[in-house]
Amino acid sequence: MEDIDAMFSDLLGEMDLLTQSLGQETVPPEALPPTNQEVNYSIGFTDLNESLHELEDNDLDALMADLVADLNATEEKLAAEIKGLKTPSPTTSDLPPPPKGLSLHPPSPHPLPASPASSTSSSVSTPASSAASSLPPPPPQNAKPTKEEIEAQMKADKIKLALEKLKEAKVKKLVVKVLMNDGSSKTLMVDERQNVREVLDNLFEKTHCDCNVDWSLCETNPELQLDRTFEDHENLVEPLSAWMRDSENQVLFQERGEKYEVFKNPQNFYLWKKDKRALKDIKDKDKEILIQENFCGTSIIVPDLEGVLHLKEDGKKSWKQRLFQLRASGIYYVPKGKTKSSRDLVCFLQFDNVNVYYGKDFKTKYKAPTDFCFVLKHPQIQKESQYIKYLCCDDARTMNLWVTGIRIAKYGVSLYENYKTAEKKAAVNSVWMNRSTPSSSNPSTPSPTIKAKTPNQANGHAPKPQPTAPDSMDFGNFPPPPSADILPPPPPDPAFPPPPPSLPAKSSSRPVAPQHKLPANFPPPPMAMDNLPPPPLPPPIDDSPEAPPDFLPPPPPAAGFGMDQSLPPPPPDPEFLPPPPPEPVFTGAGAPPPPPPPPPPPPAQAAAVPRAPVRPSGSVRKVPPAPPKRTTPSLQVGGGGGGGDFMSELMVAMQKKRGDH
Amino acid sequence: MAAWDLSVTVEDLGPDTPPVSLSVTSDLHVGGVILKLVEKTQIKRDWSDHALWWEQKQCWLLRTAWSLEKYGIHADARLHFMPQHKPLKLGLPNGITLRLHACYSSPVFQTVMHICRMLNIRHPEELSLLRPIEEKKKKKDKDSTEEIYDLTEVPLSSASRPCLYNGMPAHFADSPQMEAVYKMLSVTQPPPAPEVIAKQYRPASVVDKAHINGRWLDSSRCLMQQGIQENDRLWLRFKYFTFYDIEPKYDVVRLTQLYEQARWAILLEDIDCTEEEMMLFGALQYHISKVSQSEPQMLSSSAAMDDLESALQSLEVKMEGESSSASEMLENMTAPELNDYLKIFRPKRLTLKGYKQYWFKFQDTSISYFKSKEESIGEPIQQINLKGCEVAPDVNMAAQKFLIRLLIPAPEGMNEVYLRCENEQQYAQWMAGCRLASKGKSLADNSYQSEIQSIHSFLAMQKTNSSSHGNAPANDESINTHSLVSPRYHKKYKAKQLTPRILDAYQNVAQLSLTDAVMRFIQVWQALPDFGLSYIVVRFKGSRKDEVLGIAPNRLIRIDLGVGDVVKTWRYNNMKQWNVNWDIRQMAIEFEGNVNIAFSCVTADCKIVHEFIGGYIFMSTRSREKSDVLNEELFHKLTGGHEAL
Repeated sequence: MEDIDAMFSDLLGEMDLLTQSLGQETVPPEALPPTNQEVNYSIGFTDLNESLHELEDNDLDALMADLVADLNATEEKLAAEIKGLKTPSPTTSDLPPPPKGLSLHPPSPHPLPASPASSTSSSVSTPASSAASSLPPPPPQNAKPTKEEIEAQMKADKIKLALEKLKEAKVKKLVVKVLMNDGSSKTLMVDERQNVREVLDNLFEKTHCDCNVDWSLCETNPELQLDRTFEDHENLVEPLSAWMRDSENQVLFQERGEKYEVFKNPQNFYLWKKDKRALKDIKDKDKEILIQENFCGTSIIVPDLEGVLHLKEDGKKSWKQRLFQLRASGIYYVPKGKTKSSRDLVCFLQFDNVNVYYGKDFKTKYKAPTDFCFVLKHPQIQKESQYIKYLCCDDARTMNLWVTGIRIAKYGVSLYENYKTAEKKAAVNSVWMNRSTPSSSNPSTPSPTIKAKTPNQANGHAPKPQPTAPDSMDFGNFPPPPSADILPPPPPDPAFPPPPPSLPAKSSSRPVAPQHKLPANFPPPPMAMDNLPPPPLPPPIDDSPEAPPDFLPPPPPAAGFGMDQSLPPPPPDPEFLPPPPPEPVFTGAGAPPPPPPPPPPPPAQAAAVPRAPVRPSGSVRKVPPAPPKRTTPSLQVGGGGGGGDFMSELMVAMQKKRGDH
Repeated sequence: MAAWDLSVTVEDLGPDTPPVSLSVTSDLHVGGVILKLVEKTQIKRDWSDHALWWEQKQCWLLRTAWSLEKYGIHADARLHFMPQHKPLKLGLPNGITLRLHACYSSPVFQTVMHICRMLNIRHPEELSLLRPIEEKKKKKDKDSTEEIYDLTEVPLSSASRPCLYNGMPAHFADSPQMEAVYKMLSVTQPPPAPEVIAKQYRPASVVDKAHINGRWLDSSRCLMQQGIQENDRLWLRFKYFTFYDIEPKYDVVRLTQLYEQARWAILLEDIDCTEEEMMLFGALQYHISKVSQSEPQMLSSSAAMDDLESALQSLEVKMEGESSSASEMLENMTAPELNDYLKIFRPKRLTLKGYKQYWFKFQDTSISYFKSKEESIGEPIQQINLKGCEVAPDVNMAAQKFLIRLLIPAPEGMNEVYLRCENEQQYAQWMAGCRLASKGKSLADNSYQSEIQSIHSFLAMQKTNSSSHGNAPANDESINTHSLVSPRYHKKYKAKQLTPRILDAYQNVAQLSLTDAVMRFIQVWQALPDFGLSYIVVRFKGSRKDEVLGIAPNRLIRIDLGVGDVVKTWRYNNMKQWNVNWDIRQMAIEFEGNVNIAFSCVTADCKIVHEFIGGYIFMSTRSREKSDVLNEELFHKLTGGHEAL
């Protein structure tokens, strides 16, 4: 603990430097609000410290980078706030950024210390940012004269801000170690507002895997010999918080075919009674109809499952057969001697408070009739208990039928929405993968480079071949330093809110010079992205530590790429990533006019590349979720416009429309 | 050409008047006959709706240019001259009877379209007319007091789309009476008294249900042809269970009637459900009836009003956002708490100790307790986080027992804890807190007050139930829970036993708006395994016993009558063609993969089965063409058979 504290204070010192250098970025007016919202500084320190102990060194490094980034952001914030105190801007009231309530810090101890230091040194740069946050047009120095009138309001604002910070401070974050397929691991910081989809997207960026829909985050419980895949819409922090301190549970990043199998082969679930041969030959059109019928109507239809399963009786060792039936409202069984009619069914359980898990090796552990077992339990239960329901099926197919059926009953339409999102992500990815494939070397590299699919360009961008593989993050850069050096051109004064500054800091680490910066300058992230959940950008944080490696290093994981290449469906425009598109376009469209980003952008665009996922993250990371994508997109707009096919044009148009609103 | 005498009964002259005799020739066209007839009666009135009905042939002579010869009419023909639109008593899904003018001369499909237009129900193709069950008629004699809403004054508008006034068709805005009719159509009915439910006919088996489906009218023939006389009674029901494009904004009446039909299907066990599902249906009914009383107009405002309203609303939100001053925020931030002496009991621990009293504090989503109020500043004896826990009530008003049973998850399993409250007020507050906390909401949540209220009103229900025996009128605070469930549960549970179970289910729906609750009810209904099945008893070719054919929106199923099991399923999208052999009344269907089935129908005419299948196929074509125009021709093509127009 103390060490860490010491480190932090060091960091704080350095931050001052950073902040000074950072202060300026050109940012378009738009996306401001969202960015402001996310204040990262409150970190669950207790959790953090605990988890820190378990980390390996390199993890620690990465984490530190993360934290630094965090602190930077905080710092900026604070500076901005302080500035805000001095110069009250009307807008501030709505936005969180303004003054920081001195009295109210308790919850977030760290920020406090930081604030003083930063405030003094950074004040200069910050002003702009504060103003910017709320208003686009704000010249750095606004209303100085009005001070008196405003004083009262300032005070109110201060209080308000403090309160908001308090709220933010409550945001819980966990440091999560995710095990990869190859046995390595990655460490992420996950914010309580992040859902699994966002975390997966992060991991995609870090691992260069093909982003196919099967990639999942799984939770294992070795003590109970259970595992399950998290659903993409779930928040990750909540289930992890249920783990015990000494838990051996793990989070895995794996491909799990069964996750979305029901959407790939709905006939196996909805027509499971038919003979298998007939199911194999089913036409795509019929599959579509099945999905339509069961997932797109007014009501979600649960597969009609009924069959004998073995049930381990509460607290006993024996397994007993029962005739079970799955219904939308729960699992039921037929009591002995009764008919199967609905009215005689007895409720076995309902799904509100339980999750479904796969059981591993229950034959040995519990003397189950087979190893095809699944379990239903409250997520908080971590040890053996009579409240855990153990069920055993005759074969794997039956088990998957039941587990999937239960998930459909429990999650309903969310499941289908998750799938559609995942599919989009995968499609986009495969597109650009294919494009970039020509040169095997570049894929890994920051393909970001230029739209051009040409590898060379990419390389050019990331000239610094970094040896480090993604997994091993030696981020030499400690917190402050990198940013400072790299700090791009501060000049673009358009003051910007807090977030941006952080970006630069992060980016700094990147050697890549101009191009990366460019992205940063780009407008702020439009909120439009539906896909992305909350604006608060936990993701950025995570990226920051690890992100760097991705860019720099050559693509170590060749394997992943190979797979990608093989991927079939290459949509025409790689550039249009599902999620990103909105922003990009948006930015592209909207940004140009208003903002000042004069010099750098144009060239950048040309040079810039499509590689949305990787690149952006690297350059922008600190920024809220939006940033990464947006960079790319914007570029695309510029470059891709020419080649734009119908779809892309459509997308652009839609974005514009959205933007207008 | 030789003239001969044609006798025509003119209905308007009264039943006892002898037929009017006209001297005609065979080449006289029908229009000419009518002209002569009118002249002869010497009555001046609007005859434009009148037409000739040929009794023996059971057909209308609607083609006025056709000659008598072309129609094949000779001197022995008995013709009736009467209006094509006549009053019809129409039983609605909500159990109320309307009297309105319906067209007796056009195919039932069109007649239903007209009725639906008058009632403002979109997608009339999903509904049809059904002959009522006779048994009901006997009982009907008793309650002859039954109220009939009269709509016969409504002009027969041929307008394609009624213009809306105040959100309802203009003809409903004419008078208070008409507005009352519209209210009846668009607002859900209060829960029926338990005796009413018990009195209604309930199908006891699949075969009973199959018999009901033999009563559908033929969509391609007119009412007169099917023996429906003036003032006869028919039921209007949703027949095809694929409800296309439900839009609460425009479908007030449709949604309400759909809900009513679903509700009665549940109450009369027309569709089976489990006990847990029944409790949820009960809770939703309770909620719907409660909410519809407090906000009676589901959506009666016009589109313009809607816009205005939403604009106002968003304005309000904005103002709120801007005006949330620091002090307000501070208020929001200081979380409300509950503090009180309660008694706690942990049944799990093997102790004989009973309830022990402590000072309890409810904050955020946790309960902490202390030895006494004085010690509440220090460390609590225990703090329990209720997030994710299960909360069950255990209340007995008579015994003044107010118990909250908590099942609290922990890594080792679930811990049982009982909290005992002293009185109703205390119980309602703490119970509401526990409920919210279990869903991860704090006392600051804005649903807290309404949660307290709903607990109070349920307690009140229990009170009245224990005093009067359920005969209390179903007004707001005292709904008899027996009104919410099927008669099976009247026998199984006393009303006050049902109350906590329904309350339990109610927790999850209490925050729904009226429209959402109605939609939820319909969704849960649709999610039942047997939803959408219409049964017909059939005899498969080559089989010696009767079996049941279930017709669903997407498939046919074959059910073994003895066991009740589904033997086989065929989906429409694998269907290649189907034919009816009208001579032997047999249906033959061919599916992909050389699957052929053939059956004759036992409990219904094969035209009904044919129409069901063709109808569902028609329904499935709707999604593709988005146009609002109903493709009537296609419907008849798919459902009409060789009798098609």
